Amino acid sequence: MIKKQKEIVDSVLDGEENYLKKELYNLIKQEDAIFDFLQSAAIDGLWFWDLNRPENEWMNAKFWTTLGYDPSKMPHKSSAWQDIIFKEDLKNVYENFARHVEDPTYPFDQVVRYHHKLGYTVWIQCRGIVWRDNKGKPSKMLGAHTDITKLKKAEESLRKQINSFQHIIDGTDMGTWQWNIQTGEVVFNEKWANIIGFSLKELSPISIDTWMKYAHPDDLKRSNELLQDHFAGKTEVYEFEARMKHRSGEYIWVLDKGKVVSRDAQGDPEWMIGSHQEITKKKKDHERNKLFIEQAPSAIAMFDIEMCYLAASQKWYEVYDIKDNNVIGKSYYDVRKGLGQEIVAIHQRCLKGEVIRDHEKEVKKENRPTKWLLCEYRPWYSDESKIGGIIIHTADITKIKREEELQSLLEVTKDQNRRLKNFAHIVSHNLKSHSGNFEMLLDLYIQENPHVEENEIIQLFRKASHNLSDTILHLNDVVQINTTLDENLKPIQLKQIIDKVTRTVSAFAIESDVKISNNVKDNIEVLAIPAYLDSILLNFITNGIKYRSNKRESFIALSAVESDKYIELTIEDNGLGIDLEKHRSKLFGMYKTFHPNISNSRGIGLFIAKNQIEAIGGDVDVESNIDCGTIFKIYFRHEKN
Amino acid sequence: MKKINLTCIIDDDPIFVFGIRKVMELINFSDGIMVFKNGQDALDNLRPIILSKEKLPDIILLDLNMPVLDGWQFLEEFIKIPCDKKIIIYVVSSSINQEDVLRAKSYKSVSDYIVKPVTIDRLKEVLSNFEKVS
Repeated sequence: MIKKQKEIVDSVLDGEENYLKKELYNLIKQEDAIFDFLQSAAIDGLWFWDLNRPENEWMNAKFWTTLGYDPSKMPHKSSAWQDIIFKEDLKNVYENFARHVEDPTYPFDQVVRYHHKLGYTVWIQCRGIVWRDNKGKPSKMLGAHTDITKLKKAEESLRKQINSFQHIIDGTDMGTWQWNIQTGEVVFNEKWANIIGFSLKELSPISIDTWMKYAHPDDLKRSNELLQDHFAGKTEVYEFEARMKHRSGEYIWVLDKGKVVSRDAQGDPEWMIGSHQEITKKKKDHERNKLFIEQAPSAIAMFDIEMCYLAASQKWYEVYDIKDNNVIGKSYYDVRKGLGQEIVAIHQRCLKGEVIRDHEKEVKKENRPTKWLLCEYRPWYSDESKIGGIIIHTADITKIKREEELQSLLEVTKDQNRRLKNFAHIVSHNLKSHSGNFEMLLDLYIQENPHVEENEIIQLFRKASHNLSDTILHLNDVVQINTTLDENLKPIQLKQIIDKVTRTVSAFAIESDVKISNNVKDNIEVLAIPAYLDSILLNFITNGIKYRSNKRESFIALSAVESDKYIELTIEDNGLGIDLEKHRSKLFGMYKTFHPNISNSRGIGLFIAKNQIEAIGGDVDVESNIDCGTIFKIYFRHEKN
Repeated sequence: MKKINLTCIIDDDPIFVFGIRKVMELINFSDGIMVFKNGQDALDNLRPIILSKEKLPDIILLDLNMPVLDGWQFLEEFIKIPCDKKIIIYVVSSSINQEDVLRAKSYKSVSDYIVKPVTIDRLKEVLSNFEKVS
């Protein structure tokens, strides 16, 4: 026995043909199965073991080179490899061998580690089959080695990578999910459950229904729409901000993101992976901004990056005349159709980070006055550098624009008024001195030459001179009526002043046989300038006397009623009347006379009276019938308004 | 009854001056007449007369609207000159502006306000007032 062994060793060392190798080669020639096996498996080492003499085992050269040994120096003994295999793996090898011997269908296949001659670990996948003799007893075993060290190393580094990704996910507090869209199978990480206040264990069994159960029902619909878009390839990634019900009962906000990573043969999505990130704080900040904007007293609106409304103040709806009472989520361009490219360009500039101030624009709408708006566009940032959208702040400056127009009108008016005053001065002084000189010189001339008084031309000359003086006097009266400030108005007892004026005309009234009755109540006061009120009353009363009718007993009746805004003084007569259809428009005009038969009718009284009434903030109205009488209604301001 | 010895007319309008002189002659208004064409002219001539106590005018007819020194400015300067004799001043103007009338009457030394044109009757009235007061 010892001798025989020695022979084998020697033969190996001598390089002579080993008997087992011979036998294997013969077998390969006869048996296709052996050949096939070698074809597929004999890569990094081949061994053939004599189970009847287990110390004998043939190993091919590659067997040893894989492990770093010189094949010529290694004996064909099973002890040779048993020395360099990991002891803990050897145990597993024996177990598998025992089971494989017992049950040939159980594969002898395991990964074992060897100590490389240079000290590192070589990972070997070791497979083998038992060869039985004609009595069914296991007699030989053939095995093959595959070096899987590289594979193992790759696996190792992959695991490290996964670990580092895991750290990133843990670090960013991200929940993760994997979803088989076709089976409904899902995998969540622990954080996914933690976000809503649970552990994974508490949520199990986990399926897609777990998501359905905790997501806000209103958000599920939108989420599904977005998922369908993503499945159809319309979006690169699925992204949605959803509410989920927390264990506490409150809803929290998560940013739900994902992507389809595999599709089946038909192209239908299979696996999708994604993340959950809690954004409740950000959302609450948003909600606060939204609330702030909605309650802002000015026109302000916030838009996302797609120019969809996030929030808008009440004033915003008013300024832009938006009928739709909920524009949130809708595009700016859909809400306000027909906007020019200019506006779109401004939005785009702002979305790139520019602040645009003092942009004036004119808004024209059918059947509405043109509006002038002053806008400011500012980007807002969702985090430090990412623009989340823009905020537009608008002020309606139509009023200011109008005021600017009014202001310039006022300037023109002031200028005209100044010139009018100059004119008044010229009339009141210069013109008057010239006409005065005419009158005086003419009087003197007649005084010195009494015989010319009979001369018709001189007479007409004199008349013309008088008329000129008169006209200038009237003009003077007119330009002296100044629109009066409130503080110059004094409350005046209407009844008393009417009595006073009536007394001054009593001689004329008695002579003309006109009865004047003052029916104004005692306590009525009007706001006026006393001189103006005198002049106004005198004008209307003398007119009443002048234009009386001789066909009947004439009267003038004065009465007054008080309303919220005015004291309404009615002066009624039964005189000649005025044809208002013909003359209404020029009744209060200068030098308008309507009764050619009445002498002393200058056409200046009503004109001045109306101007004086208006100067003290009042108004005048007239009703008249020819040959029946006239009713003048004079509206005075009173202290109570 | 006293007669007006000297009347002083301060007016820049030669036609008015011509006319009023004619009227004065007609009614024998005053013995002598002196005429100045504006307030400054009047002041320059009246001041030395007053200070040297020479023959002073009894009445001054003062126009308001004049070049160099107008009627108002003349009044301001004139009342500063100390004078023993009472000189009656009439403001004679074309202006019927109530403001001017009230302002003229606010001067103690101004007797009345006469609106141009000055008629014979109005001048007679002035004369008779003078005679009554004196």
